[in-house]
Amino acid sequence: MSAVARPAPSLALAEGDDWPVMRGAPNDAAITDMVLAPLWHTRRIWWILFAISALGTLLLLATVAYTVTVGIGTWGNNIPVAWAFAITSFVWWIGIGHAGTFISAFLLLLNQRWRGSINRVAEAMTIFALVNAALFPLLHLGRPWFFYWLIPYPATMNVWPNFKSALPWDVAAVTTYFTVSLLFWYLGLVPDLASARDSAPSRLRRRVYGLFAMGWRGSGFQWQRFNVAYVLLAALATPLVISVHSVVSLDFSIAQLPGWHSTIFPPYFVVGAIYSGLAMVLVLLLPLRRAFRLYDIVTEAHLNAIAKLMLAMGLMLAYSYVIETFMSWYSANAAERYTYLASRPFGPYAVVYWIMTGLNVLSPQLFWSRRLRTNGTALFLASIVILAGMWMERFVIIVTSLNRDFLTSSWHIYIPTWVDWGILAGSFGLFGMLFLLFLKFVPSVAMSEVKELRIEMRKTPEQEPLRA
Amino acid sequence: MHDHDDELTRRDFLKLLGASIALAGLDGCTRIPAEKILPYVTQPPELTPGVPLHYATSMVLDGYATGLVVESHEGRPTKVEGNPDHPASLGAAGILEQASVLQLYDPDRAQAVRYGNKTSTWQAFAAAMAPAAMRQRLGTRGAKLALLLEPTSSPLIASMLLRLQSLYPDMRVHYYAPLATNEQAIPQYDIKAADVILSVGSDFLASGPFTLRYAREFADRRRAPLTGMNRLYVAEPGFTVTGATADHRLRCRPTEIEPLLESLRGALEGRAPSSPWIAAVAADLKAHAGRSLVIAGDRVTPRARALATAINDTLGNTGRTVWHARSPLLGSGDPNATLLSLAHELSAGSVDTLVCIGGNPAYATPASMKFGELMGRAVTVVYSGLYENETARRATWFVPAAHYLEAWGDARAYDGTYSVVQPLVQPLFEGKSIIEVLAALAGDANADPLAMLRASAKAGGTAVDDESWASVLRRGLAGSAPLARAEMPARAESLAPGAASHEAVSTIEVAFAPDARVHDGSFSNNGWLQELPDPVTKLTWDNAALLSPDSAKRIGAATSDVIRLTHDSMSLEIPALIVPGQPDGVATLHLGYGRAGAEKVAAGVGANAYLLLPAADVFHLAGVSVKRVSDAAARALAITQSHWTMEGRDQARSETLEQYRAESSKPPVRQRQPLTIYDPQQRLDSPLQWAMTIDLATCTGCSACVVACQAENNTPVVGHDDVLKSREMHWLRIDRYLESGADNPQVVTQPMLCQHCENAPCEYVCPVGATVHSPEGLNEMVYNRCVGTRFCSNNCPYKVRRFNWFDYNANLTETEQMVKNPDVTVRERGVMEKCTFCVQRIREAEISAGIAGRTLRGDEVKTACQQACPTNAIVFGSLTEPDSEVMRRRSEPRAYGVLEELGTRPRVRYLARVRNPNPALERLA
Repeated sequence: MSAVARPAPSLALAEGDDWPVMRGAPNDAAITDMVLAPLWHTRRIWWILFAISALGTLLLLATVAYTVTVGIGTWGNNIPVAWAFAITSFVWWIGIGHAGTFISAFLLLLNQRWRGSINRVAEAMTIFALVNAALFPLLHLGRPWFFYWLIPYPATMNVWPNFKSALPWDVAAVTTYFTVSLLFWYLGLVPDLASARDSAPSRLRRRVYGLFAMGWRGSGFQWQRFNVAYVLLAALATPLVISVHSVVSLDFSIAQLPGWHSTIFPPYFVVGAIYSGLAMVLVLLLPLRRAFRLYDIVTEAHLNAIAKLMLAMGLMLAYSYVIETFMSWYSANAAERYTYLASRPFGPYAVVYWIMTGLNVLSPQLFWSRRLRTNGTALFLASIVILAGMWMERFVIIVTSLNRDFLTSSWHIYIPTWVDWGILAGSFGLFGMLFLLFLKFVPSVAMSEVKELRIEMRKTPEQEPLRA
Repeated sequence: MHDHDDELTRRDFLKLLGASIALAGLDGCTRIPAEKILPYVTQPPELTPGVPLHYATSMVLDGYATGLVVESHEGRPTKVEGNPDHPASLGAAGILEQASVLQLYDPDRAQAVRYGNKTSTWQAFAAAMAPAAMRQRLGTRGAKLALLLEPTSSPLIASMLLRLQSLYPDMRVHYYAPLATNEQAIPQYDIKAADVILSVGSDFLASGPFTLRYAREFADRRRAPLTGMNRLYVAEPGFTVTGATADHRLRCRPTEIEPLLESLRGALEGRAPSSPWIAAVAADLKAHAGRSLVIAGDRVTPRARALATAINDTLGNTGRTVWHARSPLLGSGDPNATLLSLAHELSAGSVDTLVCIGGNPAYATPASMKFGELMGRAVTVVYSGLYENETARRATWFVPAAHYLEAWGDARAYDGTYSVVQPLVQPLFEGKSIIEVLAALAGDANADPLAMLRASAKAGGTAVDDESWASVLRRGLAGSAPLARAEMPARAESLAPGAASHEAVSTIEVAFAPDARVHDGSFSNNGWLQELPDPVTKLTWDNAALLSPDSAKRIGAATSDVIRLTHDSMSLEIPALIVPGQPDGVATLHLGYGRAGAEKVAAGVGANAYLLLPAADVFHLAGVSVKRVSDAAARALAITQSHWTMEGRDQARSETLEQYRAESSKPPVRQRQPLTIYDPQQRLDSPLQWAMTIDLATCTGCSACVVACQAENNTPVVGHDDVLKSREMHWLRIDRYLESGADNPQVVTQPMLCQHCENAPCEYVCPVGATVHSPEGLNEMVYNRCVGTRFCSNNCPYKVRRFNWFDYNANLTETEQMVKNPDVTVRERGVMEKCTFCVQRIREAEISAGIAGRTLRGDEVKTACQQACPTNAIVFGSLTEPDSEVMRRRSEPRAYGVLEELGTRPRVRYLARVRNPNPALERLA
C-alpha cells in the first residue's frame, strides 16, 4: 500500500469536475493487493456481520417454511387487500436491482469512466436483489408449487399461460433481466478471477479460481474478444433497465383499479427504481469504501456523480407524484379522486403517505449542496431515508389503492402480521449474507477496469509518468 | 416430427417400456390409504347414485311448523329448501331452517345417554323411568312429576301427554321457550290486503312463525310499484330488518311504545296527537280504514298489543287485514303451565322428578329467576337435548335428543295447517325424539313413533290408509284446517292509561331482541349462523350492546369498547356497537350468546343477555345504569362491513314512488357504457345466456340467501379471527348502505355476488387462465388451474372473489363432511373461488332436460339464493328468452348494472329500490 501515502494529484477526467476519479495512481500490483486482500484475510467484522445476516436468513427460512406449510393466511392479506407486503417488497427489490445494470451497462455505453470502480458492487447488488425479488411473487402464490404454470412451456395438455395478463410478461421480463445481469457480471469478473487465481495463496484456491477464470490468460486476442462481448452484453442489458420495471408497473396499470390504472406508471416506476437502486449502491459502497480503505479508487467524483443522479431522479419522481394526483382530479372520476385526494392523504394510511412524500421529495434536495454531495455521512443517511421512502411508496400504491376501491361496502384495512415483517426482515438478512459472501470470495472492485483506467489516465499529457 | 401413425418401431417400443417402468415406480411415492368401500347389497329402488332425492318435512320453532323440502344425497340430507305447498313457507326457507342441516351433523352433539357422570344406555333410562319404578317415588297420582317442554302444537305430543296423564293424573306440564308467545288468542294478518301498515316493535318481515309468508305478501305489494304499492311505517326500539325496509321509521324507546299507541288511538278518535309523525300516520291509517293494519310485536307489552287491537277495531281492520285465532299451542293462556309456575313448584319443593325435554332452561331464562339452581331442588332431573349444555350439566339423567331430520313428529303451522315432520336419516348419534322419551315415561321403551304418528293423525281426522298417508308425506302437510277464530280478550285494565315513566338522565333502557342468527341461543353452536353477518349490524361471532351514535358519545364508548350495564344486583359486561338509527338512550341486546355449555363453536362467543332479562315475557328494562369499563380486555368485534355510506356513489340506488312514476313515463335512459372501439356486443353463441335480476324494492336484507348459498356451495366457515381480517368466504353478501342523516338513516340493502361480467376484469389479468368465460355467459372459475396470484380479486370492482387463505376443510369430522354438497367441489388451500350462478344446478337441469329429450328453458333453473328468497327478489333466467321474468325485469326503467360505467357489462342487473313515502312526512323532514 505504499502508493497510498503519496500526495494526491488532481486527475480530473472531464472538464469542470473538481475531483479525480482516482487518487495517487497506485500501480497494478498495489491495486491487485488492495482488492484481493479481503479474499485472503478475513476480518473479525466480516464474521460478526456474517453471523447477523445468517441469523436473518434463518428467520427468512423459518417464515417461508411456515407460510408454505400453513398458507398465505399467516400474512395479513385479505379481500380487498389481496396484495400487500410481499408485492411491495418484490417491486422494491426489483427497483434496487436496477441501479446495478444502470451503472454498469448504461454508463458503459455512455462512456462514463467513473463507473469502473463501483460497477462490480452495483452488479452484485443487482443479482442479489433479484434473488430476493424473485422470492416474493413465488411465495405469494396460493399454490407456489405450481409457479411454473406462469411459464410458457409446452405442456402436454396444450395449456398456455394467459398472455393477456401482465404476470407472465413479468415472469419473462424478470427472468431475462436476471439471466443477462448474471452473464454480464460474470463476464466482467473473468479477468479478475484470473488475477485471483494467479495470486491465490493456496493450491485449492488456485484451482477453484482457475476453474471459474475459464482459462483466461490475458492475451490480446482474449482481450479483444472480451471487449466486444462486454459491450454487446451491455447493449443487450441497457434496454432491459427500462423494460423490466416498465413491465413490473404494468402488473398494476393494466388493472382498472383507481390508483393503479394510470399510463404514467412505466416511466414513473423506472425512475423510482433507479432512484432507490442508487441509494442502495451508496448504502453498500460507503461502508465498503471505509472498511477497505478504497478512498483512492472510490473518490468524491463517484459520490458526486451518484448524488447528482439521485437528485435528478428525485425531481422526476416528485413530478410524477404531482402529475398522477393532478390526473386523478382531471379525470373527474369519483373513485379516482377519492383514492388520490381523500384516501391517500387523509385515509387510514395517511401517515405512511406523508412520510413517503416527505422522504422521497425532500431528502434529495440536500444534494443541491456541493458539500453534502461528497459528505459520506449525509449521503448514507439520505440513502437510507430514500430506501425507506421508496418501500413506502410501493406500499402506498398497492395497499391504499386496494383497501378502498369502488364499492364502499368492501373497504377494509390491512394490517401486516409478524410473518409479513419476518419475511421482510429475513430478506435483508439473505441479501446481506449473499453480499458478504461476495466480498469474501469475489474481487469486489473491477480490477481490470481500474487498471485500464490508470493506463488511460497516464496517457494524458499533464500526467507525471508512473513508476513501475 | 413423426406422422401420427400407429406404427411402433422397436426403439420407440423400448423407450415407452422404459418410461412406463420408471413411472410405475413413481406410483410407490403415493400412499393410498386402505379404506373399504361397500356397494349397496340391494340398491333401494328409489335411489340412483348421484341423483338426489327430495323429502317433505317440517321444522318446528317456538311451537309452529314451517314446511320444508330437504335434498338428500345417498341418504344424507344436505340442503333445506322451502315447501311451496306449505302456507308458512311458500317455497322459501329462512336463515334458521337453512342452517339447521349443519346442526344435524354437529360433532358437538351429545352422543350417549348419561346417568350422573356415567355413560348409560337407553334401556337403563327406560327401565328407571318406567311407571313401575317411578310410582313408588311419585305417588300413584304422580303429583311429584313435572314436565317442562318447549311450546308445541303437535297433536301427537298432545296425545302422548294424555296417555301420560292417564298414568299420572296429577302431573303438571309446563311449556317454555324464551321467544315463544303464551297468548290464547294469536293475531293473524293478511298483509297482502293492507295498503298502509304500521308495525310497532315487530319484526314481522324477518322473525316469528309466519315471517316467510308475511315477507312474500308484503313484497307482492311492492314488486310493481305503480299498481297498488303499500306503505310501511315502523316504530321500534332497535333496528330490525322490518325497520330497514320501512318507508318511514320512528326510533322509540321501549317505554315510548305505549304512549305512542295511545296517542295514535287518541288521534283516530279526534284528540290532538302528541307529534306530527303520529298525526301523519293517523291520517294515513284513517284514509285507508279497513285496508290498513297495525301490527304490535310479540315482545312489546300486553297493553301495547291490546292498544294495537283496539286501533285495528277502530279502523275497521279487524276481520279484514287482521283477526285473532285460538292458539294451537298446548297450554297457551294457562297460568299453571308457565315457567313461572314451575319455578314456584320447584321452590316449594313439590317436584321430585323434573323431566325437561328440549330447550335450555338453565341458560335461556331470566337470570334473576335462578332457574338453574331451582332445578336442583328436584330430586331427579331428566333432560333430553341436542347438546350437553347448561341444563344438561344439572341433569341426573341425560338423553341425547334426535334432530328433527332424524325423527317422526308433527306440528301445526301458525294458521293451523297440520304439518308432518318426516325423518331423512337414522339418528346419527343415537338421539331419541320427544315422542320416544314420553313413551319411555309411559313405560314403552321401544315405541314406534311412526305408528303412533299415524294413529294420532287418524284420530285428528286425517286419512291414513297407505295411499293417503304416502300423499301426506309427499306433501308434508294434510288438508287445510284453519284455526278457529277467537276474540282477543278485551282487557279493560290493559287499556287504562299507563303510568307515565320518566327516565333519569344517567340511565338507559335496554331492549331485548331475538337474534337473527342464533335465535334464543338454541342455534349458537352453528358455524354458518355465527359467521352470518347480522342482517342489520353486519356483526359476526358476537353480540353487542347496540347504541346510537349519540348514546355512545354520552357513555364515552366506541365500537368494541366494553360497557357495563347494571340493574339492581344484575350486571352485564358487553362490547358496545354503534348503530346509526338506534334510538337514543336505548341499548338493544340480542339474546342467545355467552353460552357456557360444552358446545365448542359457541364457547366464548358474546355476552349472555339473559343476565339482565327481567322476567319471562318481559323484553325491556328501564333504569339501567351504564358505564364504560376501561380496563376490560375486549376482543374486537368482527364486522363484515365497516363503511356505511356510499360516499356519494350510486351502486345501490333508490327513489321515491313519485320519481319512479315520472321516470317510467319517459323513454328509458341509455345504459351508462363507456365508449369503446371494440364491438360491444358479446357474441351469444349458446342458446341460453344466463342472467339474474335482483329487486332492491323487495329485498329486505334478511340474509336467507347468504345461508342458502353457503349450504349449496360448500362455503367454509373461517372463524372470528379471520372475519376480523376480512376473509369471510361468503360468495353472496348483503351490502347495507345508509342514506341521509346518521340519526335516522334510510337503508338500502343490496345482495352482492359475482356479476358474471361479459367483459370480466378478472379474466384478462389471470396469468394462467384459471377464470374464463363460458359460451353461456358464465364467468367460470377453474379451481384446478388456479395458482392463487389473487390478481383477479384486485381487479374485481365488486370484490366478490374469495380466497382460501388456509385449508379451511382440513379438520372436518366425518359427520361434518357429510353436509357437503357432492355436486360442488370442495376447494383446497390457495385457490380463488366465487359465485358460479349455481352452475351445478344449471348442469343438472340441462342433463335432466336432455334425458327427457326437450329443450331447457332458462327459468327452469333456480339458483340457491333465488330459491331461498322469501320475497322473490332474485330472478334467474336466460337473456335469449324475451318473455321470461328475468327479461321482463331487466327492461324495467329502474333496472341498472352496478358500476356498468366501467364497461364490465354485468349479467346481474338490479332494480332500484322504490320507497313510498308519505308526502305529509316528507314535508316535515
